[in-house]
Amino acid sequence: MNQANTPDQPKPIIHAGVSRFLEDVQKSGILNYRSESLPTWCPGCGYYGITHGITQALSELEIPSHELVFVSGIGCAGRYPFFMKGYGFHTIHGRTLPIASGIKMANPRLRVIAVGGDGDGFAIGGGHLPHAIRRNIDLTYVVFDNGIYGLTKGQASPTTPQGQITATTPYGNPEQPLNPTMLGLSYGTSFLATGYAGLPHELLPIFKAAFSHRGFSLVIITTPCVTFDSVNITYDRFRHLWHPIPASHPVSDIRSAMMLAMSGEHYYGVMFSEDRPTWDDRWETIQRNARKK
Amino acid sequence: MDRNERIGENTVNREDLIVKICGSAGDGSISATEILNRAVASMGYHIMNFDSFPAEIRGFGKSCGHTRISKNPVRTPGDKADCLVALDDGHSISELKNLKSNGIIIYDSLPPSYRDEDTAVAGYIEPGMIGYGVPLRELSTEATRSAKSRNLVSLGVIATLFNFDPDAFVRAISKRFSGKKESVRTAVLEAFRLGQIFTSEKISKRDAIDFERKAYPREGEYIIISGNESAAQGCLDAGIRLYAGYPITPATKIMEILAKKLPIQEGVVVQTEDEISAVGHVLGAGFSGTRSATATSGPGLCLMSECINLGVMAEIPMVIIDCQRGGPSTGLPTKTEQSDLRIALYGASGDSPRPVIAPTTVAECHSLAMAAFEISDAYQTPVILLLDFFLSNRIEDIVPDPEGSARWGRFPDSIAKPGESPYKRYRITPSGVSPRSMPGTPELLFTATGLEHTENGRPNYDAANHKTMTDKRYAKLDALRNAWSLPEPIGDAGELDVGVISWGSSAGSAIEAMEILRERGFRVGGWIPRLLMPLHEDALEAFAARCRCLVVTEMNHSGQFADVIERVVHRPILRIAKVYSEPMPSDDIVRIVLGELS
Repeated sequence: MNQANTPDQPKPIIHAGVSRFLEDVQKSGILNYRSESLPTWCPGCGYYGITHGITQALSELEIPSHELVFVSGIGCAGRYPFFMKGYGFHTIHGRTLPIASGIKMANPRLRVIAVGGDGDGFAIGGGHLPHAIRRNIDLTYVVFDNGIYGLTKGQASPTTPQGQITATTPYGNPEQPLNPTMLGLSYGTSFLATGYAGLPHELLPIFKAAFSHRGFSLVIITTPCVTFDSVNITYDRFRHLWHPIPASHPVSDIRSAMMLAMSGEHYYGVMFSEDRPTWDDRWETIQRNARKK
Repeated sequence: MDRNERIGENTVNREDLIVKICGSAGDGSISATEILNRAVASMGYHIMNFDSFPAEIRGFGKSCGHTRISKNPVRTPGDKADCLVALDDGHSISELKNLKSNGIIIYDSLPPSYRDEDTAVAGYIEPGMIGYGVPLRELSTEATRSAKSRNLVSLGVIATLFNFDPDAFVRAISKRFSGKKESVRTAVLEAFRLGQIFTSEKISKRDAIDFERKAYPREGEYIIISGNESAAQGCLDAGIRLYAGYPITPATKIMEILAKKLPIQEGVVVQTEDEISAVGHVLGAGFSGTRSATATSGPGLCLMSECINLGVMAEIPMVIIDCQRGGPSTGLPTKTEQSDLRIALYGASGDSPRPVIAPTTVAECHSLAMAAFEISDAYQTPVILLLDFFLSNRIEDIVPDPEGSARWGRFPDSIAKPGESPYKRYRITPSGVSPRSMPGTPELLFTATGLEHTENGRPNYDAANHKTMTDKRYAKLDALRNAWSLPEPIGDAGELDVGVISWGSSAGSAIEAMEILRERGFRVGGWIPRLLMPLHEDALEAFAARCRCLVVTEMNHSGQFADVIERVVHRPILRIAKVYSEPMPSDDIVRIVLGELS
């Protein structure tokens, strides 16, 4: 991994348009949530767009960076905490949610944001998702779903379409892909939103809603891997496929949410949200009852 | 060869008695054993109670209480019983093989129906054994209008037969039934009294066991608890705020106790989807600055090894209690073994130093659990506490150590102060311990990672840095070794014929064997470390140099601790490493050592 920001680095020549953009970025406050380390993701990676959305939302919600904990597993998304300003824990493959949950349970004042890829969340860590959801632990879990294993250079993931040729499926992927949105809804998450990294400006309201939700908020962002996927999730192919969730969608109605999730169309926005007692709420009750006995 | 024959002494004079109360589940054998424990402990006797029960849940399975009562601290549950109380026939017949050849059987002389000789326990009494027939069912029905108080009648028999103070039993029974109606209490005490009366009027005593209604004053308030209860209390006293676990025999009891007690201390208990998640929660809590723990057994420890390894790399405090059981794999869930030592010491990818602690008694389960949290915080590391089925489930009368964890050393505080600039989470220091920041503190931000990293926590694969950081992680073990109280040898001073090294729950057997060997005229000493990683190697070498014959005893097949010792002392050692599945018999140690010495 490159250690950027060495003092000897030559100053890059910046175009006037880029310079104006950088001024806007400075003003927006999103840099308050970025560490000194520059991301090591490939140029054009969808993760830049997601990071923009997350930092924008944090900035607008004015969450102090020392109250933030970014937790990740292994994969390209695993490096996320290093690029953010806050406390961070880059853990091991698939264990993002148990560790993030432990952090939140032990210190409920912390704002915990767990991030991970489709492999981390739905393959090796797939057993933890339903249980974090059942506990309704008050954290946000952002899945960067690019349908491929990027860090290990292009193997099939649980969301790779059947038939796709990858490094480990040279004759085509024999397995059918998961539907992560249906997964989250059927496990009973109290919040689910979807987004597309190619539409970074649409991500702000999604992340604001997720971070403001009390309880487990699952955010699934579809994101192109420009290096290892040229057939499935590509900017070209996905450019015109995404629609906002219709304003008429009743957001607390699970059946309507499932209809959207099963429609085969690509929707972005808050698909489901419901107020429920969180893990902390339930434990407050349990502790009160325990003291009475 | 049983203990009395071996020592050539009568049980009476030693005030050392092993009682088994056996019946079907529901006959009250366990509750009678508990009352017996409480009664004799209140007279100042020491007890060790280790019941046997099957792994499978069956409606009316065997239920057998086994308790050893002694004037001296009890090191082992002993081998064969002096007295068997048969509350049923079928199961009790199968227990006769665990009775001494001159043992006593208290059985129901009036079974509910006429029985063939081969289905009644009375038909199996061997010559040399002493049978006392008591109409348990009849007396029980007379007192409580139910056969269910046969266990209390039998306590009346025991109290009178062996000449214990009956008032102690009355108090123990009253306490046991304190939540019940007055009429119930009167009835159960009547059952006990009828047992007494029958014994004094109808039984002509043929055994020589007589406790002469003695009482011994005690120092300090004692409690009667199991190893798991003691360890759970240690967690509570260490101030944990989170417990995460997944049910597994024989560790589950710790979770059940904490599920009840922790919420009262504003703590949280989470039953996770598996052991991976359990230890993940503990790791997360440790990261966020909160004391937390998990308990498991071998199969769970296998699953936990990746998160423990991350805890080592990222330097996160966490405590893992491993209640070992027979292995490998699912193994023998309800049998005892000390075969997880190797995975506890080394079970990880890479060079992964972590302290490992093994209590040897129920009392130590408490103070060493507390110490585990202390050192986990002080040295920012996962700590593994090794119990086993025997230690987890055995019940002893203990006086909680007023010193608590301080008995084992005093450990530094390593929390960073805000304003340290620039803050380096993994700063290199002589002790290897870096200033720790608690998430939520302004200005002390850091990112922990399982990747090799620099002092400021950034990933780094440079060879020199990897060496520096590996040294740093190992330096913490040296710092801990220096802070931990030196394990003092026990037994004779100077040159020794036999030096016994042991660890964990079987140390009691080693100490008992040492006593027997000393009675035989040998010069015998012992070295029983509680801190197994890091080991006090200098102290070990000094001890080993005094021993003509160096013995290492443990309940596993491959000599897992003997391997560790051998690497330090570079000399032949006598390995007594066996999978007994039951507590290690001290006789076996004596027999093997005598064979070696002759």
